[in-house]
Amino acid sequence: MADLDLIVSEAVAAFAVIADAPALEQAKARYLGKTGVLTELLKGLGKLPPEQRRDSGAQINAAKQRIESALEARREALAAGALNARLAQEALDVSLPGRGRGRGSVHPVMLSWQRVEAIFHSIGFDVADGPEIETDWFNFTALNNPANHPARSMQDTFYVDAKDSEGLPLLLRTHTSPMQVRYARQHQPPIKVIAPGRTYRVDSDATHSPMFHQVEGLWIAEDVSFADLKGVFLDFIRRFFESDDVQVRFRPSYFPFTEPSAEIDIAFSSGPLQGRWLEVAGSGQVHPQVIRNFGLDPERYMGFAFGTGIERLTMLRYGIDDLRLFFEGDLRFLSQFG
Amino acid sequence: MQFSEHWLRSLCNPPIDTEELSHRLTMAGLEVEECQPVAPAFNGVVVAEVLSVERHPNADRLALCQVDDGSGHVRSIVCGAPNVAVGIKVACARIGAQLPGETADKAFVIKLAKMRGVESQGMLCSARELGLSSDHEGLLLLNETLAVGTELREALSLDDNRFVIKLTPNRADCLSVLGVAREVAALTGTPLRTPDVTPVVATSDDKFSTRISDRKACPRFTSRVIRGVNAAAATPDWMRQRLERAGQRCISALVDVTNYVMLELGRPLHVYDLRKLRGVIDVRFGKTGEQLKLLNEQIVTVDESVLCIADDSGPIGLAGIMGGDSTKADLSTADILLESAFFLPEIIAGRAKRFGFSSDASHRFERGVDFDNNLAGIERATRLILDICGGEPGPVTDVVHDLPARSAVTMRVVRARRVIGVAISSDEMIGIFDRLGMPARRSGSGEAECLSIDPPSWRFDLRIEEDLIEEIARVWGFERIPAKPPIAPAAMLPASELVRSLHDLRHTMAASEFREVINFSFVEARWESDFSREGSVLQLLNPIASQMSVMRSTLAGGLIANLRFNLNRKMSRVRVFEIGRVFWRDTAQSEEALAVKGIAQPVRIAALAFGPVAEEQWGLANRSVDFYDLKNDLEHLLAPNCPKQWGGGLRFDAFTSEHAHPALHPGRSARVILDGCDIGWIGELHPRHQAGYELPQAPVLFELDTKPLLRLSLAKHAEVSRFPAVMRDFAVVVPEQLAVQSMLDAMRAIGIDCLKSVSLFDLYRGKGVPDGCKSLAFRVIMQENQRTMTDQDADAVMASLLRVLSESFGASLRS
Repeated sequence: MADLDLIVSEAVAAFAVIADAPALEQAKARYLGKTGVLTELLKGLGKLPPEQRRDSGAQINAAKQRIESALEARREALAAGALNARLAQEALDVSLPGRGRGRGSVHPVMLSWQRVEAIFHSIGFDVADGPEIETDWFNFTALNNPANHPARSMQDTFYVDAKDSEGLPLLLRTHTSPMQVRYARQHQPPIKVIAPGRTYRVDSDATHSPMFHQVEGLWIAEDVSFADLKGVFLDFIRRFFESDDVQVRFRPSYFPFTEPSAEIDIAFSSGPLQGRWLEVAGSGQVHPQVIRNFGLDPERYMGFAFGTGIERLTMLRYGIDDLRLFFEGDLRFLSQFG
Repeated sequence: MQFSEHWLRSLCNPPIDTEELSHRLTMAGLEVEECQPVAPAFNGVVVAEVLSVERHPNADRLALCQVDDGSGHVRSIVCGAPNVAVGIKVACARIGAQLPGETADKAFVIKLAKMRGVESQGMLCSARELGLSSDHEGLLLLNETLAVGTELREALSLDDNRFVIKLTPNRADCLSVLGVAREVAALTGTPLRTPDVTPVVATSDDKFSTRISDRKACPRFTSRVIRGVNAAAATPDWMRQRLERAGQRCISALVDVTNYVMLELGRPLHVYDLRKLRGVIDVRFGKTGEQLKLLNEQIVTVDESVLCIADDSGPIGLAGIMGGDSTKADLSTADILLESAFFLPEIIAGRAKRFGFSSDASHRFERGVDFDNNLAGIERATRLILDICGGEPGPVTDVVHDLPARSAVTMRVVRARRVIGVAISSDEMIGIFDRLGMPARRSGSGEAECLSIDPPSWRFDLRIEEDLIEEIARVWGFERIPAKPPIAPAAMLPASELVRSLHDLRHTMAASEFREVINFSFVEARWESDFSREGSVLQLLNPIASQMSVMRSTLAGGLIANLRFNLNRKMSRVRVFEIGRVFWRDTAQSEEALAVKGIAQPVRIAALAFGPVAEEQWGLANRSVDFYDLKNDLEHLLAPNCPKQWGGGLRFDAFTSEHAHPALHPGRSARVILDGCDIGWIGELHPRHQAGYELPQAPVLFELDTKPLLRLSLAKHAEVSRFPAVMRDFAVVVPEQLAVQSMLDAMRAIGIDCLKSVSLFDLYRGKGVPDGCKSLAFRVIMQENQRTMTDQDADAVMASLLRVLSESFGASLRS
């Protein structure tokens, strides 16, 4: 039965050159169809003597299986080829930009504001917010800064055409410190609060804006000392700038509502501002008269307060060198921030 | 406060260098703002005398001078200065001298040179060539008493530094070189050398009568007559130098002396021309309507709140502020009255500012002047006047009434340690008070140990225990106080799930592609009239500019300005938002813990969108942003506030024509209603403003109160039905002007339990729909909780919906 091998090799060769499924099925019919070569051979078995029948039958079936497996392999190859062709054809330029809506941004000053809140929240400080048009009492007198005191000239004040119940003109708060008084009068010690917000002073040049943001901090309890103020603020500065490479210096100063009072300067040990002392905050132990104005007994309670400019912190954090950029609403500036 | 280091060191000279001195002052609270050499580096410049001046043989404008520079050789020097003359003393740079160059590190070296063929053996210098001033008019002329050959730096004491210190208002005692020296002495333990104030012996009996009508306001008035002074005498160089280095302009010997004593001792003085005084001097409050011409030529009108120095002619000076023109001493004055007074700080405070100026005297009197150095000051000034101008001094008249009480202040040692947070020993504290010139008395011991001091007459800031604690902390050294990590009970600080913060709103807006801006709270008046729907606007009494004169009651104006700013910078798509307070008069607002009576100042959020709805990009057809795009952004922002079920609490109601919003297109704007409350508005800018603000298209804006947005309700789980939902769509034709919301409301109002939602999914106008009508397609979702809905159930629901729409709105089903 040498022709069986020939038939198989013919079939394999024929399948291999076929490029599409219908042609393959036609070729299959030529060997395995009703009138196919192998089918005819099987039909012819009956004519053989019985002793040859078994052997021949087995050989023909073996050949049939070989053709069927070649057929199957060819079918799979054709399918895989077709899929590959489709995939190739469907391929995208994955480097084209994603489609649809973009992202806006939060103002850098607000990013700092939020981070300051988060840092102080992590050691248990509450956050408070209050009026920006204030009374003379909350902005000055309650903070131990009476009328005509030379310290008032430290903060040039905007006034509005409305008066308080004392007949004094209402003003735009010159600092966030009135919130110390407002908050402390509503809460019992231990008082731990920060009050970020807008503040206003009659001042406008390259380094001063008539409106700016401050964050006030206040911690009143039974034994909160100046050393604690140094500890908290140092920690805050290092967390805010995420660097231990920043020095903090407390320099004696004067504010009517704290005593002892300190200006806080910071200096970076690397970067463009390396080694320069930069003023970032005013601070001190809350003045006993102010503690009394909180409605508390200064013999029992003491603590510290500080006020720091959020714009200043933001400029140092992101390397911004012009304060005015914050208030221009220039999209090219704003788009650089989260 | 500005002064030269030499002057300071003449009173207290600690063994530390300039840099350390500057650091110590700063760290004691006298912030050194500036510390600059009075002259740049140069060398090889000596005092020389011009012996002869001849015309340069080859140049008309140059002279050939023979100069004695003290070297023993006469130098031949070419000079082009117009003021060169025989006999003058000048600064001569010898060959090899290094003068200040164009840059700090590049000196200008003087070489032997030929000028127009003639050798010049050095250079005669102008003040500018030495970097001493910008004066280039001619040679720097030196005092003729200076010895030839002396190094110029030594002769003019140029190795000196100009200190500028920034003083806090409580430290008026340091508004003098003596005050600063006192501080340096305390900080370094170096002894203080006070200036010589030995009384000058009177050589006449001349006095001038003074009467003090207001003894409380003026507790001390000291004066002296000096006759026969030469007011035109020259102020000596050493005094000029110190005054100039203290930033004080030299005027005339008499004025210079008073300024000198003020700067040295902190003692303001005044000189009157005795012959111009009428009758007696009286210290009294002004009378309404009285006028006075001051030394600065300003004419002021005084009243009963202003303390004046007067004579029989009326007010002749503002006490503690400035003298008057009518009695001023000038170069022809021969007889003078010197005044050395003390006025109470609270009497002087704020008065000069009211007249729109400030003076050295008012700056000091407002803050407190030593009331124990009136005599020292007048004696010091007398001595100097006699030395410079000559004259016959009379006796001192010292009228003293009730000087400020100086009661002892006591500090508990334990309290000081508690406040500072460091266990400083009481011995160390006593040492600090001693060095500050206020010896302490010790009483009690242990927990009860106290230190008491009597505040010196020059300190006006020591009244209570904390004032002393501050002195201890300051002088002991803030730098030495440790930074203690705080210790506190570890209480949890909860953040409620029912509240969101303004920061959450910010990040939501940023996710919707808006950029946050910060605009000023004071705006142009026009913005308010154009954009605000609030009542009474607040004006600033002292705006810095007219376009920042009213408090904003809406954020809209700022956002439109932001739009204009960016359009001018070629941006075509602008999406901005702001969160901030707005302000207006509101009589309903009462005094509250966090509110000021009569003023509404809520925090608002506002957004503006302009230009293409999306950033220009491939594969997306673009169009201009409109009302509905911004409405979607608003709904996104408010999603956490609205119940998730159909018919949540957010609605948009068109403005009625009589309450139209002034900023907005009346047909394209709405009030935003959350849970029945008006929380703000949304709309397209009115075409009138689009034109008025020169905008190429109308932006869309919204503004909302933030307070209702920050309150959230707790999510509440409702069981999800396990039975299949039925979905049906239908379309109806209705009149164009019918609002969809009213149809949705009507369908919801039927109250069918299984009706889960009805939503609009298509809006069609055109072929098949009559003119003046629109076709609205709704999708209905129905579901029962306990059983599967049948077709008949669904048909019944649909029928009742259609009936309501047909009966209420004349809607007809579109087939």
